[in-house]
Amino acid sequence: MEEYPHPKIPALVEDFKNDKLARREFLRFATLLGLSATAAYSIAGIAMPAGAKADDMPKGGNLRIGMRCMEIKDPHLADFAERSNVIRQVCEYLTFTDRNNITHPYLLEKWEASDDLKTWTLHVRKNVKWHKGKPLTADDVVWNLKRVCDPAIGSSMLGLFTGYLVEEYDTGEKDSAGNAKKSSRLWSDKAIEKVDDYTVRLNCSSAQIAVPEHLFHYPMFILDPEEKGSFGPGANGTGPFEMTEFTVGKNAKYKARTDYWGTGPYLDTFEFVDLGDNPGAGIAAVASKQVDGLSEADAVQINSMKNFPHVAVYEVETTQTIVARMHPDNDLFKDKRVRQAMRFAIDREKVIQTSLLGAGTPAEDHHVAPSHPEYATLPKYPRDIEKAKKLLADAGFPDGFETDMVTRPDPIWELNTAQVLAEQFNDIGVKVNIKSLPSAQYWEVWTKAPFSLTAWGHRPLAVMTLSLAYRSNAAWNESNYSNPEFDKLLTEAEGILDPKQRSVVMAKIEAIMQDDGPIVQPFWRIFSTVMDKKVKGFELHPSQYIFAHQYAIVQV
Amino acid sequence: MTRFLCNRLIMMMVTMLCASFLVFAVCEFSPGSVARKSLGPFATQQQVDLLFKKLRATDPLPVRYSRWLGVLLGLIPDPLQAPDSGLNFNDPRGAQYFGNFGYSTLNKLPVNDVIWDRLKHTAVLAGLAFALIVPLSIIFGILSGLKEGGALDRFLSVICVTFTSIPEFASGVFLVTLFVILWPLLPGTSQLDPGSGWSIPSQLVLPVAVLVIYDFGYVARMIRVSMIGVMERPFIRTAVLKGMDTRQVIFGHALRNAMIAPFTVLLLQINFLVSGVVVTELVFAYPGFGRLLLDASLFGDIATLEAATLVTVAIAVTTQLVGDLGYMLLDPRIRVK
Repeated sequence: MEEYPHPKIPALVEDFKNDKLARREFLRFATLLGLSATAAYSIAGIAMPAGAKADDMPKGGNLRIGMRCMEIKDPHLADFAERSNVIRQVCEYLTFTDRNNITHPYLLEKWEASDDLKTWTLHVRKNVKWHKGKPLTADDVVWNLKRVCDPAIGSSMLGLFTGYLVEEYDTGEKDSAGNAKKSSRLWSDKAIEKVDDYTVRLNCSSAQIAVPEHLFHYPMFILDPEEKGSFGPGANGTGPFEMTEFTVGKNAKYKARTDYWGTGPYLDTFEFVDLGDNPGAGIAAVASKQVDGLSEADAVQINSMKNFPHVAVYEVETTQTIVARMHPDNDLFKDKRVRQAMRFAIDREKVIQTSLLGAGTPAEDHHVAPSHPEYATLPKYPRDIEKAKKLLADAGFPDGFETDMVTRPDPIWELNTAQVLAEQFNDIGVKVNIKSLPSAQYWEVWTKAPFSLTAWGHRPLAVMTLSLAYRSNAAWNESNYSNPEFDKLLTEAEGILDPKQRSVVMAKIEAIMQDDGPIVQPFWRIFSTVMDKKVKGFELHPSQYIFAHQYAIVQV
Repeated sequence: MTRFLCNRLIMMMVTMLCASFLVFAVCEFSPGSVARKSLGPFATQQQVDLLFKKLRATDPLPVRYSRWLGVLLGLIPDPLQAPDSGLNFNDPRGAQYFGNFGYSTLNKLPVNDVIWDRLKHTAVLAGLAFALIVPLSIIFGILSGLKEGGALDRFLSVICVTFTSIPEFASGVFLVTLFVILWPLLPGTSQLDPGSGWSIPSQLVLPVAVLVIYDFGYVARMIRVSMIGVMERPFIRTAVLKGMDTRQVIFGHALRNAMIAPFTVLLLQINFLVSGVVVTELVFAYPGFGRLLLDASLFGDIATLEAATLVTVAIAVTTQLVGDLGYMLLDPRIRVK
């Protein structure tokens, strides 16, 4: 009998062999519980998707990728994929979730979870050296984990850790509106504990299966405590590159480290080039080979570039999406029949064809994607104008109504989606006026507008998004949704390991979202980009993450 | 003359003061706080309030404006650069010196480290474009103004009007399609980086072409009208009648008089070329002043915006002054005694 790192793994193996557990779920859970990806894939009976072999990779050269270079604040506050990509070449994570949603050790050598999933022991890799020479230790890791839990820092990790490492408490003060001011703190002094120089233990207040995935959330960089959260050229990191130059709106340049602990980097130098907001500049720069690829290319750009002889197109299905969310506490939307009518009003295929030029898959209004491991299949419903009109009439709007929908002008697919949706809502008598605000202004009102259109990023787990966006009082609950039954089921789902049991609960959650929920969700995006054919080792990550140390350039 | 210059300099100062105060006031009423913009959508209100306080954005408008002015003139040290502000702003030049434009919240750098490079880039672009626009528009203007309604006038007018009516983004895309995608002779973007495999001069060709195409026709039309007016004046008729050859009539008598009105228009193009080239800069991803101005205003980076405004106002006022002096050279009647 093989020795497994967690007592629940044999049951997972059993379930998988008896067809009770899908392969993807088996792989994800077994690796989360500490089984190595190699072992998990071999039990699953398929070959592990081979990354390119280090020996085969050509060495040297400079790679240039077109991407916005936005201002960088503290890496623990990274809030856009672009920002984190700039940092990602220098600083690293404890874990790594690949494009197939399998989580691997990264700066950790391995991890162990207790039977009740409340105690997580993290073993820090021993051969990792900071660029400036000293070794990476448990103290560094503890400093970083504690720092993101400090509300004064303002990392979005705080939200993810809330509920098992962090608790909310009443400060005793009142804000100007007379509501009690709340703040957050670690739930116990021992929540994050150093065991020895290379071991850290997380003692959680409740069971949490997704800890290794959370450790890969994009602000969770491991920084050098001595640099106190600052970042710029020359910043210390454990990563494969050293940053040599950074100019907001222009570029970020890197030089490969020769003493990197992992495989790679194969390039001598690497560079992000800011091509601005104009999509045409991306096309022109690729056409004249001024960049070797782009971090992201939308469907229109892909259409113009796919015929360039030197360019390869990459695509990956993501759980990136957009939701037209309604405030159920607003007079127009308080009757759930209105919200249902809005869901029946849209033709998902048409939205995908028109606003994404086909680069999407239909969604089902519950923010759980078929590619999420906890997805439960529910019956699908087509567009039904008559039904929608009847629902509206029953809710007291026989002639429909008029409302504003707040959205952003860029990226362009968001505005396109707003326009298509507005047309389709019009067919059931709901006249939607699109109010397009500049991004910065949009983020001021994104939780306040009664009806708005918001894009949500890719996350490997649906429960991650559901608890960030729809749990009562969650920080990012832009829809003001509050349903005690939903909250209860969600907490239940987060703690269930048995996939069968969990999918029963997930089916209930999804049904609540379709029946009572605050969103109309037309599609999941297929994410795409282009790279020069001479670039080797590139894989498109669904979160738009660039790992330049895996890429090489074939010299002609 | 000295008095005239002094007057103009004082007026220039007053204009700059007014403009800078207006920018402050307009920023005050533009939606979205700079603290929210720099912390992003996911920061809590508590953090936003904290940064807002650290940036001293809670003070009333006149207080903030006079503080900014004091810092610029070197009368007081920049309080945001104090080590205990918690903002981690530090300028290697120190916190108190004349010309301290403050700290850019967008770039996390002293404004003086940001704007001059960008301005230099735009000056190169604008200078090259201007160097082409002036002779081209003069030639086109004179040729079509010589004989109003003639075949040459009509032909040139069609070219000028057509070119001027094509917006910069359209001609930009058109030129890129032709010279980058169909015949790959030129680079499609102009990041002014020799590492991209294209020389810097080759990167300048398309953006300069777009600016020239957009702008020269307009100026040529102005010169044409002025030329027509001059060519109908009695002294030209006299010159022709006394037997002067055409070349002498044009260069000796007509041109100087015809240039008086278009001279201002030409100088106004400098203002346009410095701050109005943002579209061209976006199309070609050119790291210029216009894009910096756009980013700063979208972000609410008031220090950068103020510096940029002062620079553009200074350029505008200076070109005006040059325009007035140029008038004196061209027209003896308005020379100050």
